[in-house]
Amino acid sequence: MPTLSSAITAGASALAVQRTRIEVAVSNIANAESTRGANGQPYRRRSVMLASDPVNSFDAALGGAEATGVKVAGIVEDPPVFKRRYEPGHPDADADGFVSMPNVDAPEEMVDMMGAARAYQANLAAIGMIRDLVSKALDLGK
Amino acid sequence: MPVEFARIASMAAGAVQGSGSKTGLVDAFGGASGGGATGTFAEALGQLVGSVDQTAAEANKAVVGMMDKTNDVHDAMIALQRADMTLQLTVQVRNKLVSAYQDVMRMPV
Repeated sequence: MPTLSSAITAGASALAVQRTRIEVAVSNIANAESTRGANGQPYRRRSVMLASDPVNSFDAALGGAEATGVKVAGIVEDPPVFKRRYEPGHPDADADGFVSMPNVDAPEEMVDMMGAARAYQANLAAIGMIRDLVSKALDLGK
Repeated sequence: MPVEFARIASMAAGAVQGSGSKTGLVDAFGGASGGGATGTFAEALGQLVGSVDQTAAEANKAVVGMMDKTNDVHDAMIALQRADMTLQLTVQVRNKLVSAYQDVMRMPV
């Protein structure tokens, strides 16, 4: 479909982005207790940076009214400010008996995930509405 | 899709073209009399069916990608919806074409 197709493409890009946000929140929760990553350091909380992304960059450059999608600009790690927990028996404990734990806050991640899930639903509703509009327009031919 | 829509499209376009030379139907729709297939309604219909073929192939790819876990569910469903919408549009255009043809054939001379 030539018309409304770019709006659907924009909605689809938003769906993919929200899925990435959920993935990152899930990996943060999953690694809330990971004291050891690939580099030997505790896991660092990750967050997603988003950027707008024109569906058709040529039309956007010409100033056309084109649907604008969204893309993941990058997944950044928070600064390595770790929570310290006294646990002398832990293998990763330092000389004073403190273990550096990841700076992941579980409630914050849950709220972030709920926001991403709601945004996913909103974009699904938008795509569904465009689909309904197109099928209503096709009913004109009947 | 096992059915090749593009081939059906070219056959349909050829059929319309062939009958058009006798009835003048294609000229009436195309607006360009005596010309070849360029810019005629038959060519537009062929293009439309070609895009049905293309969107169906994309939907097929998206569904296979979902099975391979390289694609998201929403990508597959959107590709399927796109293919469905394009097919519905083509069916509507075809219905209009056939009913117009029948109207002309029923016309008393």
